[in-house]
Amino acid sequence: MYKCIVRRLIQGVIVLLVVSFVCFAIFQFFGDPVLTLAGRYATQAQQEEVRSKMGLDKPFYIQYFVFLKNALHGDFGLSYVAQTPVLGLILERLPASIELAISAMVIALTLGIGLGVLVSLNPRKFVNRIIMAGSLLGISLPTFLIGILLIMIFSVKLGFLPTFGRGEVIKIAGNWRTGFFTIGGLRHLILPAFTLGLYQLAVLLRLTRGGMLEVLREDYIRTAWAKGLTVKMVIFKHALRNALIPVITMAGLQFGELIAFSIVTESIFQWPGAGNLLLTAVYETDHPVIVAYVMITSILILFVNLVVDILYAYINPKIRYE
Amino acid sequence: MRKTTLMIVTMFLVLGLIMTTLISGIAADKDSINVAVGSPPQTMNPHGSDSDANLGVMANIFEGLLYRDVEGKLIPGLATSWERLDELTWRLTLRQGVKFHNGNDFTWEDVQYTFNRLKEPYPVSEFLAFGGVIDSVEIVNGDPWTIDVKTKTSVPYFADNLHQVFIMDKESTESRSTGEIGQNPIGTGPYKFVEWIKGSYLKLTANENYWGGAPSIKNAEITPITEPSTRLAAISTGQVDILQDVPVELYETAASNTNIELTTIPARRAIYLGLGNEPGFPTSDIRVRKAIYLAINEDEIIEKVMFGHAFPAAQIPDPPTVGYDASLKHPAYDPERAKLLLAEAGYPDGFKITLTGPNDRYVRDAQICEAVAKQLSKVGIEVELDTKPKAIFFPEVDEHILDFYLIGWFDGTYDFGRSFTKLVHSVDVDKGYGGLNGANYSDATLDALLEESEVIVDPEVRADKLRLLNRIAMEEKIAVIPLHYQEDSYAVYKGRGIEFTPRADTWILFREISLKK
Amino acid sequence: MIKVFKSKRFYHYIKDVSAVTGSLILIIMLIGAIFAPIIAPQNPYDMEGLYLEDSLKPPIWMEGGEAPFILGTDDQGRDILSTILYGCRTSFTVGFSVIIIAGIIGVTVGLLAGFYRGLLEAVTMRLADAIFSFSTTLIAMLFLGISKNHGIGTIILAIIITDWVRYARTMRGSVLSVKEEDYISAARAIGANDLRIMFKHILSNAIPPILVVAAVDFGAAVMLEATLSFLGVGVPINKPSLGMMISIGKNYIYAGKWWLVVFPGAALVLIVFGINLLADWLREEINPKIMKGKVGE
Repeated sequence: MYKCIVRRLIQGVIVLLVVSFVCFAIFQFFGDPVLTLAGRYATQAQQEEVRSKMGLDKPFYIQYFVFLKNALHGDFGLSYVAQTPVLGLILERLPASIELAISAMVIALTLGIGLGVLVSLNPRKFVNRIIMAGSLLGISLPTFLIGILLIMIFSVKLGFLPTFGRGEVIKIAGNWRTGFFTIGGLRHLILPAFTLGLYQLAVLLRLTRGGMLEVLREDYIRTAWAKGLTVKMVIFKHALRNALIPVITMAGLQFGELIAFSIVTESIFQWPGAGNLLLTAVYETDHPVIVAYVMITSILILFVNLVVDILYAYINPKIRYE
Repeated sequence: MRKTTLMIVTMFLVLGLIMTTLISGIAADKDSINVAVGSPPQTMNPHGSDSDANLGVMANIFEGLLYRDVEGKLIPGLATSWERLDELTWRLTLRQGVKFHNGNDFTWEDVQYTFNRLKEPYPVSEFLAFGGVIDSVEIVNGDPWTIDVKTKTSVPYFADNLHQVFIMDKESTESRSTGEIGQNPIGTGPYKFVEWIKGSYLKLTANENYWGGAPSIKNAEITPITEPSTRLAAISTGQVDILQDVPVELYETAASNTNIELTTIPARRAIYLGLGNEPGFPTSDIRVRKAIYLAINEDEIIEKVMFGHAFPAAQIPDPPTVGYDASLKHPAYDPERAKLLLAEAGYPDGFKITLTGPNDRYVRDAQICEAVAKQLSKVGIEVELDTKPKAIFFPEVDEHILDFYLIGWFDGTYDFGRSFTKLVHSVDVDKGYGGLNGANYSDATLDALLEESEVIVDPEVRADKLRLLNRIAMEEKIAVIPLHYQEDSYAVYKGRGIEFTPRADTWILFREISLKK
Repeated sequence: MIKVFKSKRFYHYIKDVSAVTGSLILIIMLIGAIFAPIIAPQNPYDMEGLYLEDSLKPPIWMEGGEAPFILGTDDQGRDILSTILYGCRTSFTVGFSVIIIAGIIGVTVGLLAGFYRGLLEAVTMRLADAIFSFSTTLIAMLFLGISKNHGIGTIILAIIITDWVRYARTMRGSVLSVKEEDYISAARAIGANDLRIMFKHILSNAIPPILVVAAVDFGAAVMLEATLSFLGVGVPINKPSLGMMISIGKNYIYAGKWWLVVFPGAALVLIVFGINLLADWLREEINPKIMKGKVGE
C-alpha cells in the first residue's frame, strides 16, 4: 500500500515538473512580458534595462531553473499587473473556490446518489423516467446557461436570492475566510453551488442508477432476496457498496472538471475565487499568475486523485494488491 | 427506501429553510459606503497604472502636489501654491504639517524621491514619460518648504499633470520590496488602506489625522463588478450604495426602478478612430479618409449602440480642454458622397481593411467597432473585425502596427497639446512622441504646429495655437475620425441619505461624499 | 444496405423512443445547419446585409416584432433564427472535427499501447493521465487565451489537445480485454502477423465502446466551444456561435429582452440533448448487463 502511495507521489512530482515546464515554455514563445512590465512609454534602452533586471535576458533553461528554485521556497514571483506576490493572490482566493467546490460536490453527491438509488429501484415507473429525462437535460445544459437562467429566475424575477459575491465571511483558522457560518454567506452560496453541481449531479445520478441496476441483477443479490433480507439491508449493505465503486472513481475524476467549470461559475456570479483570478490573468496575459494557478491546481487534483484511489482500494478489495 | 427518502426530504427542507429564512435588508452600517465600479483597480502601486479606474480609487489613499475640484479646476493639494518661473522651471510651495499614514512627516525629500522613482521603468511603467522630462527637484534658498522643479524641455502642462502623480513616502518605499509596497500602500490621503482582494473589493478606513480634517464617512469600500447585469442588480437591491457606470443597455431598466436615482453627466472621454496614412495605403488619400468619415452614421451608433447615452464629437478634446474649438462640427451622414469620393480616389469597388479594437475597455467598444464595420460595408469597404482584450490591444497600439483602430481618450491634464503629442504626432520614441499613435500616422505640418506650441509660454497665445492645430487636424487632414463623447452615469440607492456629486474625471473621492443622517 | 435495416440492431433502434427522438432532433438541426445559407432569411456573418436600425426587435408574435425576423434580432441587427442556423454550423463543425481527429489520434495511440504494452504503453498512458487530470476546459482556455488568432481551427485544436485521451484510454482498455479472447490466439496460431491481427480482429471488436465515447464527446465538444465563446476566448464576436450569442445576450436579460438568450440556449441544449439520447441508447445496446425491469423480478 505504502509503496503504491510513494510511487504515486513520485509520478505526481513528475507531472508537476512537466506541467510547469510546458507552461513556462509556452510563455517564452508567446508574447514578451517586458512590454507589459516596462509599460508603454519605455524606450528601447529602458526595456532592455527591465529585461536584465528581471533576469529575462538569460537563456530559457536558466530562467526555468530559477523559477523552480524560487517555487520550492514558495516564491512564485510577482504578478505583472498587480505587482504583489502571486502565491498570496492565489491563496487568498482559494478558500472561496474550495468552499464553492465542496458545496457543489455535496449537493451533487447527496442528491445525485440519493435520486439515483431511488430511480434504480423502479426504473419503469413514470416519475422515475421523468427524472432520468431530467438528468439527461442536466448534462446537456452548459454551466453558464444554468447560471444565467437561475439568476434570471431567482434573483431578477423572484428576487429572494442575491445575485453576486460571497456575502459576509468570517475568518477562521488564520486566513481562511469562510462563508459557511453566516446566513448571508450561505445564501450567496446556493445559486453558484447549484449551478456548479448540477452537471455532476446528473452524471452521478445516471451512474448510480446504472451501477445499481447492474448490481441488483447479480446472483448474490438474488441470494439476499431469497434469504429474506429487508429492502433496506439489501440496498445499503450489499448493492450500494459495489455500485458505488465506479461512482466514486467518477466523482474523483470529475474534480478536475469541477475546478475548470468553477471558472465559468465564478465569472457569472462574480465569485471571488481562484478561477476568476485565472480568467483575469488570461485576459491580462499575466504569466506568473497563470503558471502558478496551473501548478497549484495540479497539486490539488493530484491530491484528490490520490485520495480517491486510496478510497477505491479500500472499498474494493479486489484491486488492493496491485 | 425510507431512509433515502428521509435523507432527501431533509436535504430539501434544509435548503428550503435556508432560502426562506432570509429576506434581505442589508442592515447597512451607515458609517460606511460601498461603491460598485465597472473596472477593478489593477494594482496598488500608485504609479503602476494611469487608467482612471486605478487613479480614481488610489486618489483616496494618495495625493498629488495639486488637486482638481469636482469641476476639474486645479487647486492646491500637497503644495499650497505653484507658478511657472520660466520655460523650464516650476516653483511650488509645499504644505506643512502633513503626515503619511505610517506617521512619517511629508517633506520635500518625498517629492524628490517620488519624481526620481518615476524614471524607473519597473515597477513604475505608466508615468515614465513624465518622469523622463523631470530634470531635478531642489529646495530654494535653503527653505525646505519651497522647491523648484526643473524640466529638461518645455512642458507647458506640467502643473496640470500633478494631480495624477501621487507622492510616496521615501522611507517606507525604499525599505520595502515591490511586493510589500503593492500589498500595503502608504500615502497621505484622507483614507487609509485596509484590505485589497484584487477583483473583489478594496476596503478603506478614514484617516483621522488627515490634514484636511477627518472625513465624515468612516469606512469605504470599492466593489468591482464587471458583469453589467450583476452590477445593476447590486444597486437595484441595495447591496451597494452607489454605482458608477450604469450599463447603457440596461439604462431603461434602471430608470424604471424607483429605489435608485440616476445621474448622468457628459463624459470627458472621446471615442475616435485612428487611421494610418502610410503611402500606398488607401487611407493615405484624403478623399478616402473623408469618405470613411461620411460613411459612418454616428447618430445611428449613438442611438442604437449607445442607447442614446453619448454625444457626437467633432474633435478629440472636450469643452474644458485647452485647444477645444467649439466651431468644429461632425459632418452629416452621407454615404452617397462617400461612394463618390471613393470612386474619385480610385476605389470604386472599395477595398479591404482591418479594424482593431478593445472589447473590455470603453463603453460598448466592440459593438461600436461592429457597427462601424457594418456601415462601411454599405459603401463597399470590406472591414475585417479584430476585437481583443485591452491587455493585448494596447501593446499593439504601442507597437504602431495597426491600420485602423478604435480608441478612447480623456486627457487628465486638460491640454490638447499633450493629447496630440501622445496620439497623433509622428512617432519618435526618443522624444516621447506618438506613444499611442497606433497606426503610425504622420503629418509634417501638424507636427510643426505642435512643436511650435510647446515653446510658447503665454497660455492665451498657446491656446490659440492649439485651436489652430485642432482645426487643421480635424477639417483639413482628418488625422483621426472622432465619433462621440461617452456619458458618465451613476446610480444612487435612495433612502440612505447619500449625497454624491459625480466628478468630471470619474474619480470616486469618498471625502466628497456625505451622508445625511 | 437492406441488411442493416433488417438487422436486430436496427429493430432495437426503432423500438426505442428516445433513440429515435434523439436522432430526429439531430437530423433536423443538422439539416438546418447544412442548408443554412438557403433557409436562413439573412446571412448574419455578412456585414452588408445587417442594419443597426433592425436591432433588438422582439420575436414576431410580440409587439414590435416584424418579418422577416421571426425570432427577433440581437443588438447588432442580426436575425436570431439565421444566427442560430449559422451557429449550429459552428457547433456541428467543431463536434464532428473533434471526434474524428481526436478519435483517430486516440484510437491509434490506444491500439498501439494496448497491443504492444511495455514502455510505449507506460509512457503514453502516464502522459494521458497527466493531461486528463486537467480538464479540457482549462487547457483549451489557456491555449486560446495565449494564442493570438481565434478561428474555428484554433478552437478545434485547443479541444483536441486534451480530448484524444479519453479515446486512447477506452481503446486501450478495450484492446486489453479483446486480446485475451480465444479468436486472437487462434489467429496467432495460424500465423497471422501483428498488423493483420490488429486491424482485422482487434480493431473491429474493440470499437463499440469507442462509439459511445464519441457520441458523448460530440456533445461535450459542442458544449465546450459554447463555453469558450462565452468566456470570450472562442469565436470572434461578429461571427457568433451559439455560445457567443448567449454571451452577447446575457446582458439584456435584465432589460427584458429574453429572446437573445432563450432561443440560442434552446438550440444548444437540443443538440446536446439529442446526441445524449443517442449515446444512451448506444451504451445500453453495447452493454448486455443492464437490467430493464423492476427489482425483484
